[in-house]
Amino acid sequence: MLADFGYGVLVVTFLVSLFAILAAILGQAKKSQKWVESSRLAMLLTFPLTTLISLTLIYLLVTNDYNIAFVYEVTSRAMPTYLKVTALWGGQAGSLLFWSWLLSAFMTAVTLRKWDRDREFLPWVVLVASVTLAFFLALNVFYENPFTRFWQTFSGVQPATFRPAGAMPFTPADGNGLNPLLRHPGMIIHPPMLYLGFVSFVIPFAFAIAALVTGRTDDRWIRITRRWTLWAWLFLSLGLVLGGRWAYDVLGWGGYWGWDPVEIAAFMPWLAGTAFLHSVMMQEKRGLLKHWNMILIILTYALVIFGTFLTRSGVLSSVHSFAQSAIGPAFFIFIGVTFVVSIALLLWRWPSLKSESQMTSMLSREALFLLNNLLFMGILVICFWGVIFPLISELVTGAKVTVGPPFYERATGPLFAALVFLMGVAPLSAWGHSTLKTLGKAIFKPLLAAFLVMVAVVIYFFVNPRLVNEYLPYALIGLFVTISTGFVTLYEFWRASQARARAQNENVFLALWWLAGRNRRRYGGYTIHLGVVLMAMGIIGIEMFQTETQGTIAKDETMSLAGYTMTFKELQDFDLNDASGQPMQNVARAVVEVYKDGKMLGELYPRRDYFYDAQQPMTIPGVRSTLQDDFYVLLVDWQPISSVGATFKIYHNPLVNWLWFGSFIFILGTFIAAWPDQDPELAPVRARKNSPAAYLTGD
Amino acid sequence: MTEMTQDSPKRGVPLWAQILVWLGLLVLLGIVALGLNRAQQGTVQPGEIIPDFKLTLFDGYTYQEKTEISFSELRGKVVVINFWASWCKPCEQEAAGLEAVWREYQPGGEVVFIGIDYVDTEPEARGYLTKFDITFPNGPDLATKISQFFRIKGVPETYFIDRNGVLQYIQVGPFTSETQIRQQVDALLNQQ
Repeated sequence: MLADFGYGVLVVTFLVSLFAILAAILGQAKKSQKWVESSRLAMLLTFPLTTLISLTLIYLLVTNDYNIAFVYEVTSRAMPTYLKVTALWGGQAGSLLFWSWLLSAFMTAVTLRKWDRDREFLPWVVLVASVTLAFFLALNVFYENPFTRFWQTFSGVQPATFRPAGAMPFTPADGNGLNPLLRHPGMIIHPPMLYLGFVSFVIPFAFAIAALVTGRTDDRWIRITRRWTLWAWLFLSLGLVLGGRWAYDVLGWGGYWGWDPVEIAAFMPWLAGTAFLHSVMMQEKRGLLKHWNMILIILTYALVIFGTFLTRSGVLSSVHSFAQSAIGPAFFIFIGVTFVVSIALLLWRWPSLKSESQMTSMLSREALFLLNNLLFMGILVICFWGVIFPLISELVTGAKVTVGPPFYERATGPLFAALVFLMGVAPLSAWGHSTLKTLGKAIFKPLLAAFLVMVAVVIYFFVNPRLVNEYLPYALIGLFVTISTGFVTLYEFWRASQARARAQNENVFLALWWLAGRNRRRYGGYTIHLGVVLMAMGIIGIEMFQTETQGTIAKDETMSLAGYTMTFKELQDFDLNDASGQPMQNVARAVVEVYKDGKMLGELYPRRDYFYDAQQPMTIPGVRSTLQDDFYVLLVDWQPISSVGATFKIYHNPLVNWLWFGSFIFILGTFIAAWPDQDPELAPVRARKNSPAAYLTGD
Repeated sequence: MTEMTQDSPKRGVPLWAQILVWLGLLVLLGIVALGLNRAQQGTVQPGEIIPDFKLTLFDGYTYQEKTEISFSELRGKVVVINFWASWCKPCEQEAAGLEAVWREYQPGGEVVFIGIDYVDTEPEARGYLTKFDITFPNGPDLATKISQFFRIKGVPETYFIDRNGVLQYIQVGPFTSETQIRQQVDALLNQQ
């Protein structure tokens, strides 16, 4: 019953979104404000409707209604309630519904804003968003109905939306259970964050399209959507970081990023979005690069859809084994239409998107920003090429060629290093004009400090020659770049707060606080840059100095790696039961003692959990984390009967925690930059007319 | 889309640039359509009979003193075909386990393990084989002929074929324990 209700509402929501499209078009064609208003209201209505559908599905998930195929696939009686709720995005049908739900929520928020000063955008924004929403709802309605039920027919049990003739409902006693790999806290938040990031990029795209259609090609659309873009970017970044953390904790290969096509699919919109975030500043402040911003936002949106398509259609080989599904062709058509329409609009409006001024200096901030954009695009092109290359080579030569992590690492490494360096230098140069002399003066002191630190680092490697490997020269270059950038950024904070402290007679920290409060965008940006510096140090550490070993040892025997010694003490084998006493998972847990320099540091418990419901095992490493390094032990195998020996794999991951710590700073910085101001939209418009320099520092 | 950079022409976009953009889009969509078409086929399915193929082994590897394996010679034996690559992290997770299980079954002579190296460079592949001390026959998948036949979705993937040459089980992604491999092999050994 409830399933029919859910499906019914789903169909109604789909029709409402179609109506919103129609009304927006009619409103525009007839120049009728009534129709426009009507489409706006329809858009508003979709949020309560999708909420109702999602709640219905969540209710079915929580109440173990295994008659519903989706509930059967992603939950089981043994799972705790919060996991049953989050199982909403544990399968394809639910994920798509979740997408629509988030999209309609965002659209509602946008629709509710004050539209007085930009009425002409409204129908087009609603149109673009409704088309996207209608598409995702259609996928649920026609291909992936989350409310499909099991039916007992003569030929066996089959899932179907409607009752086949003569069939009886069939309800399995228990569900399949969520893939144990997905039962990790990181994995519970990772997909929604990624989806939020993906979905919220629809908003700036919708405004960009509205600006193209209406011909209002000033920077209004950028100002309206700036904060949306930042939030979208925040969610996308969070999604990527959480995914990395999840891989590090769960996948058991001692890494956080494997250049897997699906990871790249999520990374590409981030790259385009990051370039966009930077280049819009040039349009706002100097009226430059209008074409480029349009291209970037269209690209970001296209990559969002493309990324979702790649992850959901099985086009690419990937360790993220998503279910095969029929939605590929539908997605393909949607991507094609999006591309054709956006490019056509862009070509049509190309002449009116002229820049208002010109670049005057190669070292001016706008020139360096442009360079930053080119670097981001370079990385994006490499990623895109790597993803698409297997398909091309198969077409041309008949042989499939896949590019692995070494390709990406070698190709993007120097670009990333250049980006980090630019990240330090660019904020120091002035809009309009800078010279080597002015720039050199600004970075001289921090550069000197970085140089001194590097001398210490080189001495450290002389003292510890066992750390030296073939990557050392690259690592040193990388470290120098990151450390200088870190110092330059810190020096900027220091200089500005010093100046204010002197002028206002304040404490330096208080000055910093006020400064950051006034120029959130600038200091949020700097904080993000600091986060990136820390992350880069962590990445250099784990990528260039990771060591590993594997071995089988008996009880009380030891293994050594990177100055650590590990003793295998015992192996425990037991069942974990759920609340009703049913065994939920079998745990094989090794107890090992970790020593360094003869001193015992503690015990670690690498384990392997076998989940009875999903019939899948999960490896959980034992990790000893310090700021210096991670000692990461995996239980690979063991002798079940005698429990005398076990095989372990050990990784030593230097500096990896700086990656997580840096991510935290990064996210914090984004919050600072994106936090709403009193009236975010009114002030800059006036300021712009008077003097571009007046708000050089942001809002 | 690199041709549309920031230099702004006074008039519209020149015709040649427009044609180039549309052509680029067409090619891109064509390629994706091709990939999609393939993806929809999926891998070979259990129950299918695997036809003959030949695998030239890496130097230093032999099967019954020959440097080439042809699949038809393996009739009557249980065959485990593992696709791997040196750049593949998840493969490393199962490599030692596969080798350990192979050493258990090798003396019996009823089971053959074959490693097929998917799009790789030889030095790196050799490094991988040495690192995990892999002794079962291994060879590169030249021009990806074999993996295209299996229509593998990625690495690692492992195919279990019974004594009659019929595919019985596919493991997508790495094995997480040796027991898991043993179970599949034993099931096929106990057939008939």
